Amino acid sequence: MVAESVPLSVEDLSVVYGERRAVDHLTFSVRPGEIYGLLGSNGAGKTSTIKSIVGLVKPVGGRLLVFGRDVAQEPLRVKEDLGYVPETSLLYEALTPREFLEFVAGVRHLDPKVATERTQTYVAAFRLEQEFDEPIMSLSNGTRQKVLLIGALLHQPPLLVLDEPLNSLDPRSVRIMKDLLLGYAADHGRGVLFSTHTMEVAEQLCHRVGILDRGVLRGEGSLAELRAKGESGDATLEEIFLRLTEEGDGVREAVASLGGRG
Amino acid sequence: MTWREVAHLSDVAYGELSFQAIYASKQGNLAPPGPAKDAVARARRRSMQSKAVVSFVLVLLALGAAFALRVASTRGKYLPSGTIPLGAFQAGVITALLALELAFLWWAGMQILPTFLSSGALPVLEALPIDERTLRRTAGVLYLRMFDLPALTILLATPLAIGLVLGPLAGLAVVPGAFAVVGLSLALALITGRYFLRRVQGSRGGGGATIVRWTYLVLWLVPVFSMFLFVVAAPAFLTWLGHLAENPPNLETHLLFLAFPFALATLPALVANGPFGLGLDPAGWAFLGLGIAIYVSLAAWALVWVLESVRRVGTIPALAELPPVVAPVRLRPQRPVLAVLTKDLRIASRTPGYAFLILLPILDAVAIGLLTYVSPSGTSTSLSIALAAVATAAVLATFFGPAFFAIEVFAFSYGRTLPLADRTLIFGKTFIVAAMYLIAATTVLGIALARIFEPAVFAAFILAELPGVAAAAFLELGLLYRRARRRGLPITNLYANAWFSFVVSIPGVFMAGLPLVVFGIVGMRGFDVGVLAMAIFALIELAMCSAFALRGRDR
Repeated sequence: MVAESVPLSVEDLSVVYGERRAVDHLTFSVRPGEIYGLLGSNGAGKTSTIKSIVGLVKPVGGRLLVFGRDVAQEPLRVKEDLGYVPETSLLYEALTPREFLEFVAGVRHLDPKVATERTQTYVAAFRLEQEFDEPIMSLSNGTRQKVLLIGALLHQPPLLVLDEPLNSLDPRSVRIMKDLLLGYAADHGRGVLFSTHTMEVAEQLCHRVGILDRGVLRGEGSLAELRAKGESGDATLEEIFLRLTEEGDGVREAVASLGGRG
Repeated sequence: MTWREVAHLSDVAYGELSFQAIYASKQGNLAPPGPAKDAVARARRRSMQSKAVVSFVLVLLALGAAFALRVASTRGKYLPSGTIPLGAFQAGVITALLALELAFLWWAGMQILPTFLSSGALPVLEALPIDERTLRRTAGVLYLRMFDLPALTILLATPLAIGLVLGPLAGLAVVPGAFAVVGLSLALALITGRYFLRRVQGSRGGGGATIVRWTYLVLWLVPVFSMFLFVVAAPAFLTWLGHLAENPPNLETHLLFLAFPFALATLPALVANGPFGLGLDPAGWAFLGLGIAIYVSLAAWALVWVLESVRRVGTIPALAELPPVVAPVRLRPQRPVLAVLTKDLRIASRTPGYAFLILLPILDAVAIGLLTYVSPSGTSTSLSIALAAVATAAVLATFFGPAFFAIEVFAFSYGRTLPLADRTLIFGKTFIVAAMYLIAATTVLGIALARIFEPAVFAAFILAELPGVAAAAFLELGLLYRRARRRGLPITNLYANAWFSFVVSIPGVFMAGLPLVVFGIVGMRGFDVGVLAMAIFALIELAMCSAFALRGRDR
């Protein structure tokens, strides 16, 4: 039995699309106060895992528990505890950020005063004032990403699920986001699941990482633990990643074929 | 590049357009399992089905016109009150047919255009090393392909239907009219669609801007709706034609020959009957010739313009540049059902197709309600017309009810990650349908207040039908939602799932219509008894349909 304080527990998860197995018996958990980074190349199964957690994909096997609640059994209750930022900026294009956030706040039963205060804070931090009443379809990808981040943070969920959240953000917003996430997870034992293929970001932000390759977890732990397991001294996360995913040689060959230093 | 290569490129782009229209993967929905080739083939089939639905309606319109012409020829009597020359009657019917075809194809085009622009099918080609002319031609051919079956239906079914009743030569004589309808509606769809994207879809939020947006939408719907109004007012139009025929040719009749689409509709009637006394003096002939020449030339020019302009419309930024404005950051969240309703109305206010669906029952009610002024005040005819207006509003609101789920297709996958219960969504959509009906019916009441006996009884009739309308919405939404959940598809959009929306509408309209039938039967014993029986029946329907739609576990 999983304790209810564990933000996320993924047990033996499998996701299949037609003939292709995108996630293969994946098991990991996000502990209270932790930022967990899910690392992997394109097509490694990060987004499929995340979509299963937020209810967009139906897994063929396994169990997903958010604070002890089964995603398959209590989807609505689980969604109340989740804040989600998708990989692509999925938004109601015909709404403005204000209208979109009002809709999200309404669905999440937020008090108008609380919703306004939080929105004001985030809008000021991300410098969104000028775009706040523009139709979303006219906004840049980075600005859309900011709107999604505010939508995910508006109800201060105990579990944040972020799929490549820093994509398209400007350096200033990336910095704000990193600091915000570090503080957010530490506060009240919240959890953050964070997918990325940018190793530097994962190194700076994540307490632990899980390295996914073709749907299988190849390694898991903090950077120090991964180094210790692999007896890799002061290797960077990128080097550990390439070794665990057995892509190191492939990368060298590819670089050599392109005329670089293989 | 050759036309063969243009055909190939446009075919690839059309596959992408169909795929996005059906699976909406750009909105984050998962692509279906299996090879991409199969998914694209399925999407193409679905798109073809949607076009087949539009074509089916167009065939029905042509057959309806043929039936009216046939009945008139058989009976030798062309109007309930008085007579008009047979040729004038025929010209009137063909005018109505061409007007309806234009309105319908134009409307269908406005539904498709947002998908066309958001699919990104054209911008992808822009990055490839393809010359300007080929890109322009490819875009034009792609646009034509979106309309191919409906346009061909108009070009073939109209002459066939008219030719069947009035003879082959008359059938041939309506070809210029059919051609003009196709050319002008394709151009109008492109112009209005583009206009909406820039001025309506791209407008800011806020109370004042919302009012301006809806005003734009109403204004912009007037041309489409005026065609519909024209058909509703067809008897009055025919009476007017009869009146013109009785008098010597004058400026009024001459100007009529210049009007679209009467000029083009007169041609087959002339071929079938010869000059029929509608002011066809030398000046009349000149006006008629001028009218036909203008509209055929205009349609040809419009087609060329469409072919040349689609690429520009499809690739440059759709939204107008707006000066920066900073308003206070304040949120006013509502309860979930109201949040869904408000969100849908806001999306509709920037999406012409959906706005049209909301406004159609209301504008229809206005048009029919105004007809009460044709009959003497306080007569049973006035009341019958007002009741018919309410009944039509009920049917139109429920016929298009499922379309409101279409709005969910935008970022539907994001919506599914929110703690939004199925029943909240269904309630929100049902509220919209019920509100559309109530606004339309109340508008009729307002218009006809001075024309009918006992407005309170009429109001009771409106309220008695309300549960029937809500029941129809529940039934249709329940069916749609189950299917979407089962298949894992975005709920629907008009272009992608038109066939299923159409099929689901049939039991819905049936459900909304049954209380009216009960009123028709029981009402013969007295209006009050009829309204009471209708209300009881509608409430039973509501109980059954809401139980059907809302049962099961929320997800």
